[in-house]
Amino acid sequence: MYATTYHKPRTLAEAVALYESSDEPTYLSGGHTLIPTLKNRLAAPQHLIDLRAIPELSGIAVTSDTVVIGAATKHAAVAASKEVKAAIPALAGLAGSIGDVQVRHMGTIGGSTANNDPAADYPSAVLSLNAILHTDRREIPADEYFQGLYTTALEPGEILVRLEFRIPDIAGYAKFRNPASRYAMAAAFVSKHRDGHVRVAITGAGNEGVFRWTEAEERLTENLTAKALDGLAIDPSRMMGDMHAPADYRAHLVTVMARRAVQNLGGTHIV
Amino acid sequence: MTSSLKTAATEVIVHPLKLPGSPSAELSPEMKLVREALFKHVGKPIPRKEDGRLITGKGRFSDDFSLPGQTYAAIVRSPYPHARILGIDKTEALASPGVLLVLTGEDVLADGLADIPHNPVPSTNFDMKLRAKDGSKAFTGPHYLLPADKARHVGEAVAIVVAETAAEAADGAEKVFVDWRELPYVTDTAKAAEPGAPTIWDEVPDNVFIDTTFGDREGTDAAFAQADHVVKAEFHIHRVTAVTMEPRASLGHYDPETKRYTLYAGSGGAVRQKNELSKVLGIEPKDIRVLSFDVGGNFGARNRVYVEFGLVLWASRKLGRPVKYTATRSEAFLTDYQGRDLVTKVELALRKDGKFLAMRADNLSNVGGRAVSLSPLSKGSGLITGSYDIPYATLRARAVFSNTMCTQAYRSSGRPEVTYAIERMVELAADQLGFDKLELRRMNLIPPSAMPYTNAVGSVYDSGEYEKNMDRALEISEWASFDARKAEAAKRGKLLGRGFANYVESSIGTPKERAEIEIKDDGNIEVVIGTQPSGQGHETSFAQVVADMIQVPVEKVWIVLGDTDIVSVGGGSHSGRSMRHAGTVMAMASADLLGEGRKRAAELLGSAADQIDFEGGVFKLRNTNRTIDIFELGRRTRTTHGALRVVKDNEMHTPVYPNGAAVCEVEVDRDTGHVQIVRYATIDDVGRCINPLIVHGQTHGGIAQGVGQAMWELCAIDPTSGQPLSGSLMDYGMPRSDNMPSFKCEIAEVISPTNPLGIKAGGEGGTTPALATVVNAVVDALLEFGVKDIQMPVTPANVWRAMNNGRKVS
Ligand SMILES: Cc1cc2nc3c(=O)[nH]c(=O)nc-3n(C[C@H](O)[C@H](O)[C@H](O)COP(=O)(O)OP(=O)(O)OC[C@H]3O[C@@H](n4cnc5c(N)ncnc54)[C@H](O)[C@@H]3O)c2cc1C
Repeated sequence: MYATTYHKPRTLAEAVALYESSDEPTYLSGGHTLIPTLKNRLAAPQHLIDLRAIPELSGIAVTSDTVVIGAATKHAAVAASKEVKAAIPALAGLAGSIGDVQVRHMGTIGGSTANNDPAADYPSAVLSLNAILHTDRREIPADEYFQGLYTTALEPGEILVRLEFRIPDIAGYAKFRNPASRYAMAAAFVSKHRDGHVRVAITGAGNEGVFRWTEAEERLTENLTAKALDGLAIDPSRMMGDMHAPADYRAHLVTVMARRAVQNLGGTHIV
Repeated sequence: MTSSLKTAATEVIVHPLKLPGSPSAELSPEMKLVREALFKHVGKPIPRKEDGRLITGKGRFSDDFSLPGQTYAAIVRSPYPHARILGIDKTEALASPGVLLVLTGEDVLADGLADIPHNPVPSTNFDMKLRAKDGSKAFTGPHYLLPADKARHVGEAVAIVVAETAAEAADGAEKVFVDWRELPYVTDTAKAAEPGAPTIWDEVPDNVFIDTTFGDREGTDAAFAQADHVVKAEFHIHRVTAVTMEPRASLGHYDPETKRYTLYAGSGGAVRQKNELSKVLGIEPKDIRVLSFDVGGNFGARNRVYVEFGLVLWASRKLGRPVKYTATRSEAFLTDYQGRDLVTKVELALRKDGKFLAMRADNLSNVGGRAVSLSPLSKGSGLITGSYDIPYATLRARAVFSNTMCTQAYRSSGRPEVTYAIERMVELAADQLGFDKLELRRMNLIPPSAMPYTNAVGSVYDSGEYEKNMDRALEISEWASFDARKAEAAKRGKLLGRGFANYVESSIGTPKERAEIEIKDDGNIEVVIGTQPSGQGHETSFAQVVADMIQVPVEKVWIVLGDTDIVSVGGGSHSGRSMRHAGTVMAMASADLLGEGRKRAAELLGSAADQIDFEGGVFKLRNTNRTIDIFELGRRTRTTHGALRVVKDNEMHTPVYPNGAAVCEVEVDRDTGHVQIVRYATIDDVGRCINPLIVHGQTHGGIAQGVGQAMWELCAIDPTSGQPLSGSLMDYGMPRSDNMPSFKCEIAEVISPTNPLGIKAGGEGGTTPALATVVNAVVDALLEFGVKDIQMPVTPANVWRAMNNGRKVS
């Protein structure tokens, strides 16, 4: 780790002002992506601006139509929330499947969504549930937010404040873990929205990060059964390949995970 | 079994068990007492004495030590698999804030430091004798603290930077500029031995520095010629690393007044570190003290000297201040000594009825950039025929350099590899020739009546009841009711498979051990011993042995280890040697201690020694009620006779052969290729079991380690760049509590005739058959896909690939 200066602002305005007036600043949330990066000397921010003391970033609020989660909310809090479990059980289940106990008690939904790791869990829920991302300056629809590996619509210094999820008719999440890292090697979040449309978001597999599998959406909107996906394949050239899973295997896993998500609507299937 | 010793070793040493009328040649007369001991504590599952200390944070691991004025070291490492060092510019690093010292390979040569005397070729009487192709002593590649010529693997240390803080040292290391010239590299085991491969050492242009053939070649050829069937296969038992919880660490201190060096560094044995480092530094062994207390995992990776240990000592002398180095997890993945990496080609000749007639093996061990240890190749060489009576065998054993980190003995060095080969071969033979897998094994197992049994490459198996192990393993694993479970799994869409493997392994190890036992005035007994635990519970099981011999409560016995100023001789802990060597020498020392006690008691009680009895820790004058307690005796005679204390040395060369059987059941997900182990059972003949609680713990850990290799672990290297791919736990898969089943383990105690306590070994038997057992089970599960073999690790991707390839074939 290189030397860096730690700040803990109490308001959004203070955080943004600090960011704008500093040389090489970075926001810090749960630190479970950022700190390991710093420890390996792969990043050298001069100022770390901790967002966790800003009130707007915390809390979970559930209405009849939406679940709104503050960006600094820990995975464990989402997993344990009775309201989230009742409104979108697949979302609570997803949160409870991230990493291990320590990670879930430090890592945050905002950090994960801002980071947009191609193997992270939350991006699939954000995209499938057609969430709205509230920042310190605007609202970004999920379809415009994810822009490729580790890339989002957030501008430098822009703070993700809250995530607003539409409560779907029903949703399911299926994940196949990487045998080493336990991150998703392929995972599918399938949700049937109240307007009848089905959205299928795939994480862990695509070579451009999380993506919507539109062919599957079309079939499932017509017929929300695993059988509807029979014969549907995904092009391996759209997949990542590495020592754990070559692209053709990942393409296969995507179809299996999509089917399992449909078979487990109202919950999760995690291996 | 009448087959004679067919080893190709030049000096043939007659095995003690084969000497006429000498069933236990190493049993000395004074040990009769030991033999007749009551075994009050031995054999009982006494909870570990060390656990309270360890779980309350009172462990003393290497990085826990700090000294006043201490500085910190960072290491500059090669980013290339193979590159010449044209020059190293230290200027900027030396100007970096806080940097005190920068040293390179040129400085090593200028200061006349010697290379680390690893002595990689195993040399006890019963080790297989490995040599160069022409029969000469092999060139093994000198290991200097820093190389001056070139780097031979990614991560090789090429400079050390010492600074006031760890961060400043790391900053400084980034400012050391090495002028590299990249060279062609080879990392793959088989390719490294192919003609035209890039040369790692000019002294060995073809990289193959060991090439020895063992066994009776003519006999083998003749048997093959007459065979009805020949089955062939090739396996790669891939490279893994130990991933110890505590990364390696060292703190070096040179005292200019006493001219003595002190090193705090956890290892597999401080005495070895002391002796070898003294040679590197060109000093007398007495001028260096090595301290190694609690060690957070070893598994072999810590047995040999690491360059950083020598570097901190040398840097401390140059600087006049203590120097500390603690590896990061990334450095541990790159540069901890690694394990396995054997390519083996095997052929098995069978008679029509299934009787094994002969075997050929061609084993190629990848030692990495230089040879640190040939134990894996050597250990495996003696056991290629496994638990089976195969009258003829020929083995070509080769070792090859490559541009990879060095390999070392890794839990059950060499034996899981050859067990894998023979146990996979048996399955392939059964499949190809239509035999029942278990019947084929039974028909060829070595019977107890053949013990001691000399195998076709000259190893003498001391004792064992192999078929009984097999029967019991099948029974506790409920082998017979497998079909019902398979049908049930099928209903859930899962493919159930079962795997079986027999094993026999050897435990040799450094032959010398010393024990010192002293009766302390405070009512405790102190035992000084030269083994080094890293979680095996020596403080408990060793205390049990001494408590039994001196007939005192086990709580009164304290084991002292890990400081070379106290522990002067000691072979360390490896090769399952500790209980056997330490147990024996402690028992012998106890016998001497009681002899001395009897003499002193006789004097005090005014009688002759042969009138003194000893029971329950008390000396008693026969036919009287005059007694004296051993601690009281120690106190009362201290001024006249000195401390009641003995020092005993012992040397044992004869190996023992732990053995057993393992059964594993796996469930494979046909959609994803995911493998879940659902059952695992073992029988392990460890000889006399001192503490079953500890032995079971060792078996459990051993199983996890073997299963880990079979299922997930792999030091992968990108063939297009020579770069390691699994440099962190993000990519290096490990066994965890949630992916292991509950184990069913039983201990079989067939007492070994080779040592007074009858001990074999219990630390490695869990690992030895695990690789074969898991893969046999996975192949069995994939039967319907036409899968005959699969490369480890059996990751979901590999299993899915095998299913698909099988589908295409069938
Ligand atoms: C061992 C381990 C296992 C893990 N396993 C999983 C897993 O299985 N699945 C999974 O999804 N994740 C996993 N993670 C990642 C974990 O969920 C991270 O915590 C998460 O991805 C990042 O969240 P964080 O709060 O820790 O963010 P930080 O590390 O603090 O920040 C991450 C990035 O986001 C930026 N950032 C943070 N908050 C905001 C904000 N509000 N606005 C704008 N930018 C912001 C930071 O500047 C930084 O660039 C694992 C992590 C570890 C260490």
